[in-house]
Amino acid sequence: MSKNSLPFENVSRRDLLKFGIGAGVVGPLALSSTSAQAINTNAHFVIVGAGAGGTSMASRLSRALNGARVTIIDARERHHYQPGWTLVASGVWNKNKTLSNTQDWLPNSVEWIRGRVAEYDPDNNRVLLETGEAVPYDYLIVACGLQLRYERIEGMDVDLIGQGKGVGSVYASIEHAEKTNNEINQWVASGGGTGLFNLPPTALKCAGAPLKMTFTTLSKLEGSGRRDNFNVEFMTPSGGLFGVPFYNDFVKQRFEDQGVKRNDFWTLKGIDADTKKATYLVKGERTGEASSGHYTTGGGNQQQEWEETKDFDFIHVVPPMTAPDSILNSPLVFADDEAFPTWMKVDRETLQNPDYPNVWGIGDVMGMPSNKTAASVKMQASVLEQNILAYLQDRPLPARHNGYTSCPLITGIGKAMLVEFGWGGELLPSFSFIDPKQESWTVWVMKERMLRPAYYAMLEGRV
Amino acid sequence: MTFMGTMTVVWYSALPWLWLLALMLVLFLVPQVIARMKGYAFTQKGGVGSKYLPPLVFVLALFLLPLHTQSSIAYVNTWVDWLNLIGASVGLGIYAWLVFHPVCYLRNRKA
Repeated sequence: MSKNSLPFENVSRRDLLKFGIGAGVVGPLALSSTSAQAINTNAHFVIVGAGAGGTSMASRLSRALNGARVTIIDARERHHYQPGWTLVASGVWNKNKTLSNTQDWLPNSVEWIRGRVAEYDPDNNRVLLETGEAVPYDYLIVACGLQLRYERIEGMDVDLIGQGKGVGSVYASIEHAEKTNNEINQWVASGGGTGLFNLPPTALKCAGAPLKMTFTTLSKLEGSGRRDNFNVEFMTPSGGLFGVPFYNDFVKQRFEDQGVKRNDFWTLKGIDADTKKATYLVKGERTGEASSGHYTTGGGNQQQEWEETKDFDFIHVVPPMTAPDSILNSPLVFADDEAFPTWMKVDRETLQNPDYPNVWGIGDVMGMPSNKTAASVKMQASVLEQNILAYLQDRPLPARHNGYTSCPLITGIGKAMLVEFGWGGELLPSFSFIDPKQESWTVWVMKERMLRPAYYAMLEGRV
Repeated sequence: MTFMGTMTVVWYSALPWLWLLALMLVLFLVPQVIARMKGYAFTQKGGVGSKYLPPLVFVLALFLLPLHTQSSIAYVNTWVDWLNLIGASVGLGIYAWLVFHPVCYLRNRKA
């Protein structure tokens, strides 16, 4: 807001409605209200991607900067609330609950280029679109998300999802999430058979989603009254189920209690949807038949590698994931000998690219342990805004990302645990009254009812 | 979280339920206004409806609220869960009393 403007000059009708509805409920919180002083600049900011991170930063920058030009590049007309996809794939939500228009979230002052970036040219401060058009920038924020690599699984095609062949994947798109629910329901209605649930050999977004899909499917199987007729198996390429030891142990125990057979060091290599067979690359010490599960996993040099084939009636495919090709082919990617070679290079605390200081990252595209969730973006957006504003003013970067991420871990349809942690798996609970180690109806209600409003507030750059 | 941030979350939370909030407001206000025009006050004698229906609403809410969220009372587990469930059910019970009490008063008056 400029110095001469009146207090409510820039407040929209929607903001006033929010104020009216919320004032009675949370009036006392007004005491904690803060407002930042806008910074004058004529810099051109280009944001690649209008997902959670890009939109949030567009909202924040357009409010925090006076005279700046903000351009956002994305071809998608629809904005997807991706944290809701597991609820759609579990039959809890209708898919329309996750859809909105990209335009509705972008501030009027932001220029939206409907296109895709084909090439990053940070040496010349520009990006090139697929159309060949060059878009120059003073500052670049990369928020383009990640690339799903289904093609790395032989025989896998997202078009197989929803064909009645027992292939599902919550990640492919909202339409495929809905079709995954249909495939699961069809399998449950069939009265028996084997379901294979997988983790990928790479970092993945919403790392809890494969577990959530397993737990919600177990709810359906148990609800059918014929649980004993179904064989459920979970494959882990790394031997781990969750990055935080407590939750890893919790899920392991829960799988045991609910009769889920775990196959550690199994990586999905290919599927044949017509014959309903999945091929796995297995690591370990081979001491028995796959069907009996008699494998002991070895370590170091003792490990052997071989292939196994499993029949399935339903398979939940989770693809390997990397940064998009445009990032992989650019100077912005981590080098092969660095920590995250298929992801964008940033300082994990400042979110700044160390080689090109006018380039910043946010969201799934960045190379860092975990942190590919909307909850991470919420924390990153605040850090990024503070650091970019400081950088503009030649001040030291003041904010540090602590690795915060959150996963309301659905452990069945109707209950969940509020998992929040930072670097090194340190628990970072937001609410002192919610036990992060207990399954809870309240957390389920938060996931089902409250997180989408909080996400929308994040898109508006308000939280 | 800033004030406007909190407002924004509250706004988007209430948005899908504005129709219900408006309906509940009308159901609350219409009997209250009509009854008060005819001498009603909270201290007036109610009737069987205002005596038994609010507790019934409370008890039903204990079971129906979890179902409404596609969950079940079996998953109400922690003290926060119970506090939320009982608090919401008590709220609905009080709301039911606020609606039924003036209605009963009007019925008594007619009789």
